[in-house]
Amino acid sequence: MSNLAENIIPDQEPKIVIRNIGRTFHIKKSPAGPHDFVALQEISLEVQKGEFVALVGPSGCGKSTLLDILAGLAKPNSGAVFIDGKQVTGPALDRGIVLQGYALFPWRTVRQNVEFGLEIKKVAKGERREISTRFIDLVGLKGFEDRFPHELSGGMKQRVAIARALAYDPEVLLMDEPFAAVDAQTRETLQDELLRIWEETRKTIIFVTHSIEEAVFLADRVAVLTANPGTVREIVPIDLPRPRQNSDIRSSPEFGWTRHKIWELLQNQPPADHRAGEQRPVADAISPSAAL
Amino acid sequence: MFDKIDTIKTHLLRWSGVVVFLLLWEAAPRLGWLDAQFAPPFSTVLGAIHELAADGSLAKHLVISIWRGVTGLLVATLVAIPAGFLLGLRLPVWAAVLDPFLRVLSQVNPFSLMPVFILFFGIGETAKIVVIAWVSLWPILFYTITAVRNVDPLLLKTARSLGITTGELYLKVILPASLPVIFVGLRIGAGLVFFMIVAAEMLGANAGLGWLVHNSAMNYQTPRIYAGATFIVILGYLLNRFLLALERAFFSGEQEQVDLVPARRSSAPSWRPGWRSAAAAASVIFVFLLAGGREVYLSNLANASLGGHLGHQEEAGEANVEYTCPMHPFIVREKPDVCPLCGMRLVRKSDAAHGAGH
Amino acid sequence: MNTKDIIIRRIILLAIVLLAWETLPRLGVINPLFIPPLSGVITALRELAGNGEMATHAAISLQRAALGFAAGAVLGLPLGLVLGGWFPRLQTALEPLMELFAQANPLILFHVIILFLGIGEAAKTFIIGWLCLWPVTFATITGVRTADPTLLKAARSLGLGRAGLFVRVTLPAAAPSIVTGLRLAAGYAFIMLIAAEMMGASSGLGWLVIQAQESYHITRIFAGAFVITLLAITADWLLKLLGGRFLSRVESGADDYVRMQGSAGKI
Repeated sequence: MSNLAENIIPDQEPKIVIRNIGRTFHIKKSPAGPHDFVALQEISLEVQKGEFVALVGPSGCGKSTLLDILAGLAKPNSGAVFIDGKQVTGPALDRGIVLQGYALFPWRTVRQNVEFGLEIKKVAKGERREISTRFIDLVGLKGFEDRFPHELSGGMKQRVAIARALAYDPEVLLMDEPFAAVDAQTRETLQDELLRIWEETRKTIIFVTHSIEEAVFLADRVAVLTANPGTVREIVPIDLPRPRQNSDIRSSPEFGWTRHKIWELLQNQPPADHRAGEQRPVADAISPSAAL
Repeated sequence: MFDKIDTIKTHLLRWSGVVVFLLLWEAAPRLGWLDAQFAPPFSTVLGAIHELAADGSLAKHLVISIWRGVTGLLVATLVAIPAGFLLGLRLPVWAAVLDPFLRVLSQVNPFSLMPVFILFFGIGETAKIVVIAWVSLWPILFYTITAVRNVDPLLLKTARSLGITTGELYLKVILPASLPVIFVGLRIGAGLVFFMIVAAEMLGANAGLGWLVHNSAMNYQTPRIYAGATFIVILGYLLNRFLLALERAFFSGEQEQVDLVPARRSSAPSWRPGWRSAAAAASVIFVFLLAGGREVYLSNLANASLGGHLGHQEEAGEANVEYTCPMHPFIVREKPDVCPLCGMRLVRKSDAAHGAGH
Repeated sequence: MNTKDIIIRRIILLAIVLLAWETLPRLGVINPLFIPPLSGVITALRELAGNGEMATHAAISLQRAALGFAAGAVLGLPLGLVLGGWFPRLQTALEPLMELFAQANPLILFHVIILFLGIGEAAKTFIIGWLCLWPVTFATITGVRTADPTLLKAARSLGLGRAGLFVRVTLPAAAPSIVTGLRLAAGYAFIMLIAAEMMGASSGLGWLVIQAQESYHITRIFAGAFVITLLAITADWLLKLLGGRFLSRVESGADDYVRMQGSAGKI
């Protein structure tokens, strides 16, 4: 089940160490009566500094739960997460988070949204303005500083969310299906943009998605998760050349081959140990675009 | 261009009903369809409004009524919003426990409570303000509870991922996020306040818009009744429109997360009051409270001295005269007094019979 | 925290409140002249119930409220259906006028109505009916207007005629909103009823309270207020039960209140 060892570059201290994470929910009300639902079991993963890792898996495999644990918003029942060798105990400004639903504060302008983390960090006003200008510029929203979120398109909102997460200079960026809610074209543009921003800022990124294509396009390595219980099935290194943005790498044979390999990994899941009747074919559970 | 014409057309259509109604109101008494004694034509009523406005009494009563309303609403807000936050966020179990109690209390008829409040606070301003605060307390409280519980969890998650402190979370996230819904509660509360002020003033006051109408009715000044009523209706309408417009200006873009309230999308430019405009509004209200309070105080003072003077005079007068309240004819006293129910000066029974008879 | 725990706490809290109501005035912590002990209120209730006074006044009050409410509902429902369903332009033309009428403070209006109808039952019924009319009308218009257009389209494609469409689709779709309007109207009916009885009547619960205050029968004020509240809550509960078919269950009273007020008076 684990081929972690091969993927770790030995002479470098990993930025993030996820060790044997387990998370169980006790479900009181269900047709099957009270039972424990194992969302995550024995998850282990190490991420290097500046690396882009994608987590891909069907819905219900616990990838969002894992991200919450990384962010410090949820606590694992077992195991621990270390960042730079220090155990994660709660949320902190060394990790930025970008969520699927944008989560912009509707009463704040673009600039005020971007400055939110800086306010929490008690950065002085002048400096705040300088930083927000820089990051609004970085995500390509110059001229939109004083707009309110409802005056922006979905893609622009997500750019604001990214700028907000980057503004307080976290070393790790956690992204939970950030592009799931935008249309296909915008999505590709945002993926290009994200890669550009990543190359400019050199953050460590953990990117949760249910689209295989997105994972392959963006990441250095893709961790394939399976559901019931949520575990890491395999970690696939993506050896596609960079920079990948603004290229037609998506149509290259290597891209197709890697995508197909991950698709097969998700397809050939072992049958779940319990409650097998509810198990849907994985191809249905993952996005249709991913299976193309 | 066509849009503009269309808008004008729609407006004309919208207001045509009111225009027809006003024309009918003007015509009916003039053509003898209605007794002009009971229903004076609209122009006469406008004349009465003008008269009231000219001698400054309209402004005085208006200031006094609004002062009572604002004070009551302010008291209710200061109690209900913190209580709503506390129950909605900090004490969810107690909120569930208290739920039926609050619901019963909110259904207690304010009119049947009025005598109790008068027992407690006397007939003065306090009883009126308490009853006004009581009515507006419930919408604000319930809306606040619902609002703080329905803050978008994604916003909370984002804010918490930054390691935000609880105080900052409340002030910077939950309060602004729940404001649109709380404001709806405030608007409903303001509507109830407007209703209740008039009631409180009718049942016991010596100034204010409600009193103006009541007094006109007692003195059979029919045009004045209509004048006061028309003025109050227009004022209520404007108040409601103003609050709706304010709501739209503040929160138009945020409806997506406020699906408790029927969505009202508009292209109105979004404008968010900063600390500066909030402070300006607060100081305007404060100045108004001071000025209005002075007006109320003076009015009460004037009335008290008048009452004392009158009482003295009457005592020396003829015996065997009974005094009764124009509002509560079953209250009969042998001496000049104020009505124990409403605090109005009692009038001589014969006068009252004269006034109420028809 | 489970439901059982919450109910237990509610019972304990209720017991504490009742106990405090009984003991605090007795111990003189609260002036018993202002808030009489619970037993006093119960005695007054029993006394009023025993000599039939309570029943008489409650019956009169209920009759007035029911009559006014029925008048408001009987006029408001068709008005709303017709304006909302068939004559949208007429509705647009009447909208501001209706809004102004709904704004008209009923207490002020009472004075005007007394001019026409005198201080009798007619005036009281009229004012209660007037007050009930608007929430019912507005809620009906809203309900008819906001009926899901795709639902209408689907029904029309099945070959449903205009009348059939109205009875089978529009009306059921508007039902929750209408029930909300009726509930609001019932609440208004009670509030106004008491006010009207306080202002000019010689019977009814409002009069009972006012008279009790006049004669300083404080226990009777509380007894009267208790019965009024009880009746209002029962009426609301009945209407809620009636609408139970259409309304999804709402857990907390706060949410119920918001839902009810939020859909009121909006066109």
